[in-house]
Amino acid sequence: MDTVLMDNLWVIIGTFLVLLMIGGFILLEAGSTRMKNAGHIAGKTIFTIGIGSIVFWAVGWGFIYGDGNMFIGLSDFFYGDTSFSEDGLSPAVDFMFQMMFALIALTIAFGGFAERAKLSAYVIFAVLFSALVYPVVAHWIWGAGWLADHGKQDFAGSTVVHLTGAMAALAATVILKPRIGKYNKDGSSNELAGHNQVYTALAVLLLWVGWFGFNGASTFGVEDAFFGYVILNTQLGAAAGAIAAMLLVWAVTGKADVPTTLNGALAGLVAITASCGFVEPWAAVVIGAIGGLIVYASMRFFDRARIDDPIFALSVHGTVGVWGTISTGFFATHELSVGMDWGQPGLFYGGGFEQLGVQILGVVASGAYAFVVSFIILKVMDKVMGGLRVSEEEEIIGLDMSEHGSYGYPENIPHPNEQAK
Amino acid sequence: MSYEDIRKWREQQIHLQMDHEQLNDFHDDLMLKTVQLALEKVKVEQGEVPAPFAFFLMGSAGRREQSIWSDQDHGIIFNGSEQHQAYFQKLGTEIVDGLEIVGYERCEGKVMASESRWTKSIEDWKRQVSDWLDEESWQSLRHFSTFFDSRVLLGEGKLLEDVKQVTFSYIQSHPEIMNRLVDNVGFIQKGVGVFGQLLPQQSGKRTGQINIKTTALFPYVNALRLLVLCNHIMKAPTLVRFAALKEKYSFLSEYHRLFESLLAFKFQFTKDVTEYEEVHYIPLKKLSKKDKQELKEYMKKGAELFQQAKNTIEKECSKW
Repeated sequence: MDTVLMDNLWVIIGTFLVLLMIGGFILLEAGSTRMKNAGHIAGKTIFTIGIGSIVFWAVGWGFIYGDGNMFIGLSDFFYGDTSFSEDGLSPAVDFMFQMMFALIALTIAFGGFAERAKLSAYVIFAVLFSALVYPVVAHWIWGAGWLADHGKQDFAGSTVVHLTGAMAALAATVILKPRIGKYNKDGSSNELAGHNQVYTALAVLLLWVGWFGFNGASTFGVEDAFFGYVILNTQLGAAAGAIAAMLLVWAVTGKADVPTTLNGALAGLVAITASCGFVEPWAAVVIGAIGGLIVYASMRFFDRARIDDPIFALSVHGTVGVWGTISTGFFATHELSVGMDWGQPGLFYGGGFEQLGVQILGVVASGAYAFVVSFIILKVMDKVMGGLRVSEEEEIIGLDMSEHGSYGYPENIPHPNEQAK
Repeated sequence: MSYEDIRKWREQQIHLQMDHEQLNDFHDDLMLKTVQLALEKVKVEQGEVPAPFAFFLMGSAGRREQSIWSDQDHGIIFNGSEQHQAYFQKLGTEIVDGLEIVGYERCEGKVMASESRWTKSIEDWKRQVSDWLDEESWQSLRHFSTFFDSRVLLGEGKLLEDVKQVTFSYIQSHPEIMNRLVDNVGFIQKGVGVFGQLLPQQSGKRTGQINIKTTALFPYVNALRLLVLCNHIMKAPTLVRFAALKEKYSFLSEYHRLFESLLAFKFQFTKDVTEYEEVHYIPLKKLSKKDKQELKEYMKKGAELFQQAKNTIEKECSKW
């Protein structure tokens, strides 16, 4: 009984920590973009969290965990359950924790909208993504879906949360096209530098701490204090990612670029998210470091492909989400996979290619679903709404003013009395 | 003859210049003709020149290291009183306008004879140079270094020599200033990364291009300026500075050869550019593997030369 209560407490603490990650995302996105959009970014994030929460309550949970088929759940809509289970999480605690993941995925997806999408596009996509995209992938892997049956390993959501969010961001980025001024006619790319690296760094720290809830509470309990091990791996992955990314960008360009370093830490976190409960600490270091290396390569790739990714959501959550998911196919130990009745060991632990194959299948299927469905939704919205993107003039004056009527930094505008003079 | 005529002459002839030396001779001819024309115009409007003067070039023109396009860096010293200032600034303004028409962009940092900072009487110039050295702030020492890379294009060469002589006396009595001058130009922009790769611009219109001026040329230019300051030599062109110092410092002969071929290298890869902003940048894709090796060698040796110059100055000049 005592343990069950502690399990519930631990997971609700994890819930709080993950919700605070939204604060991290606000700072991350605002810091990585220009100040004329800062208020908009802060406001729309809180607003879309509201939408995501209501939709998850209404249908999201039911699509993931309701009784249904291999592809979708179809019961438990408009969820509310006061029961208390003697041998597991209270349903409301479980529900709240799961809701947080849906909100994180939604916020990642909106990274692809940054600095140019209409506020109304955020509103509609928040509803549709939270109902039709995220819950389906989550059902496949974490509900009673077909990938769960294959033993797909995704401890805390490299695929379910990060890759799904990033694929929606990719669809949005492709449809919205690059921001004004990002690319020159000759194809070269300009750096539209974010306005506050300190915000971005504090964002990384806030996310990092929040990730202890994200991964640590994904143990769903306190038994054997396994969450400590998971958090240890999480810390090592993030640390290795930051170091690897900074050393790489320093070596390649001669400058230890700060945004790349910060993305390296996030990449380490994303990479270790799938594998934190399945691998040994040394492997967490390797997984995080490789995450840090490939995030930089990916940032350059997207930039050269003329895909404007203002806050690097595609690289940090997408490319590295793929790597994180596949990494357990290499590094999952026997004890932490078969021993926990969750999939097979990885290639380096005698598991052969079986688990690796399952991981790759999971990535391809989930990624393709999230991209295709998001793309269709956004294309239809684009047609019906007469474009997802604000007008050129609105983009130039900034979304703070054009969509909300006031600046995040009011010092940007003259005092009304001075205007009148 | 008008400025337009000189511009046409420039357009017809500039691509016929075969090497770095020829190109810089041609620049000298163009600028001299322009300045003479400006002087004639001012004489017509303002009357005869009221005092002896020297019009001098600074920056890459002063060092005879101009590329096909170049901006303006120049000043005037006159041997007269304050009442002559207006006349010479007027002359400076006419020269700036003329040179602009001929094809020399205005200097963004306003190092031009139209500005009071760069057109002064000889007494004011002497005071100015001492003030810059006295102040020894980063900016004032930059002004001083800019000034010191100077040579007279038209007028009395002795005026500039007299001002430079003040410099040498100052350094003689304040040898510690040499360390400050070394520090002032001690930052060398890295051109080669840890994997031995060249480090081009990462974003913007110049993505994939390397700044040959800051990564390769500057260490040589700065090293030689410091060495001539230490040895009381007034010459401005880096190649002439090399020649003047080679007997005293045998280690320079290798770097002298390298710098000559660096100028030829730069000439080869920038001779067809169409605007001033481009003259310092070389797109890496234009370079063969061998060219890249060569460029890296210039950079490596430039940094090495700067270090040697620094050591030499510490030993010989910063404490007499």
